[in-house]
Amino acid sequence: MQGIRTIAIGFDGSSDAQGAVLWGLNFAHDNDALVVVVHAKGLLARFEPTVVNEEIEASLAHVCDEVGVARSSVRLEVVDGDACSVMLRMAQPPVSADLLVVGTRGQSAHAGHLLGSTSLELAQHSPIPVVIVPRS
Amino acid sequence: MLIINGHLDDAGHEDVGHPERPERLRAVLRGINELHLDGDLLAVAPYSASRAELARVHDATYLDELGAYCYEGGGDLDADTYATYDSWSIAQFAAGAGLAVIKELQIRDDGVGFVAVRPPGHHASRDRAMGFCLLNNIAVAAAELTSQGERVLIVDWDVHHGNGTQSIFWDDPNVMYVSTHQWPFYPGSGAPYEIGGLDALGTTVNLPVPAGATGDVVRQALLDTATPAIEEFAPTWVLVSAGFDAHRSDPMADLALSNGDFAELAILTASFAPRPGRLALFLEGGYELGALQSSVTSSLGALLGADFASERPTHGGPGSDAVANAKEARFAALRIARDTGL
Repeated sequence: MQGIRTIAIGFDGSSDAQGAVLWGLNFAHDNDALVVVVHAKGLLARFEPTVVNEEIEASLAHVCDEVGVARSSVRLEVVDGDACSVMLRMAQPPVSADLLVVGTRGQSAHAGHLLGSTSLELAQHSPIPVVIVPRS
Repeated sequence: MLIINGHLDDAGHEDVGHPERPERLRAVLRGINELHLDGDLLAVAPYSASRAELARVHDATYLDELGAYCYEGGGDLDADTYATYDSWSIAQFAAGAGLAVIKELQIRDDGVGFVAVRPPGHHASRDRAMGFCLLNNIAVAAAELTSQGERVLIVDWDVHHGNGTQSIFWDDPNVMYVSTHQWPFYPGSGAPYEIGGLDALGTTVNLPVPAGATGDVVRQALLDTATPAIEEFAPTWVLVSAGFDAHRSDPMADLALSNGDFAELAILTASFAPRPGRLALFLEGGYELGALQSSVTSSLGALLGADFASERPTHGGPGSDAVANAKEARFAALRIARDTGL
């Protein structure tokens, strides 16, 4: 796919998000694109910051192992905000992503509604293309 | 005279273990009781905001979705925000409470309003719930006032930036939004160069302060940067997003304010109101129950002319440089926007 230089992948540590990272890393490899994995730090992350960071790190390391990519080569950004807002911000400088990638459902799962679905809200609001990676 | 909303049965909006919980409102009411106002306290009847009143600041599809989501049992709206079966009804009453308090202030042309409701509202945007917020209570009230031809100043001293309120009024020249908040921090918005849309340049005033900032730094930001803009704006009403999570005991943030600081902030904010009966505070955050209670007491007491602060105003924290830099960044953004139209 032409013109895709930077990909931002939303990551909350869930299995769906792992699938998104898996897809995104492979896509980036095939298209010689940069990858930024983005974890939104919400209000409640404050109560268990260490646990959240460890879980996110471990989950990301697991995906990197699966793809055969060194964890150290994947840039992880932890950004204050809710998941949708944080991903929308990735389309702006300094990241200036050309493509956003998210899993079908994150940790806030409630099927059948636009509300509660980061992926659907993102698709509705994003000014740049969004890939929603289906659960495998 | 303190005018508050009548009893809101908010017990149904709860997610066990979540910090935004019914006990918060009980603490607030204890804080009001500490004032021993007797005949100087008026509780206005509960009122549920109408669809038309909500639709001034929220998209119709969002209102439909949120109502349906709740009636189907609710759930997590994002990693922070929940809704229950009862949340839709409770949120409508929370939004209506502000309208009822304002109406009473208009009738009396005197007094101070306090809208003691939950869930809070200032993170809710036109079409999204987030940050514990479902409906933007203060925005609903401000929109009602502007529909009557008023010019509304919203001062938001919650520790988090009110991204929802800012976005709703971004292009509205009749609403000035002024926020002091910890930075960098959730929700990530609130930079000093965010100054309003082309139709309302300068009517958004963001005053970020760093972790550890004390009350003097917050007041300095309001006095140095916001006050000239507010005087130029000349509000006819002042509404306050009164979160008390900037208190040094609050577990949700890292600012270092005392309940004495909230008393001083209340007095400073009241000075922006053109006359009595034109000031109303809306509860936003505040999650440490003791700090919440004492800060409600101190700030409302100060507005009624009494000193109920049990802690002295704080001084000496970091942030003076940040305040000065933010002021420069704001002015630079204003210059660029006016010169280029961007």
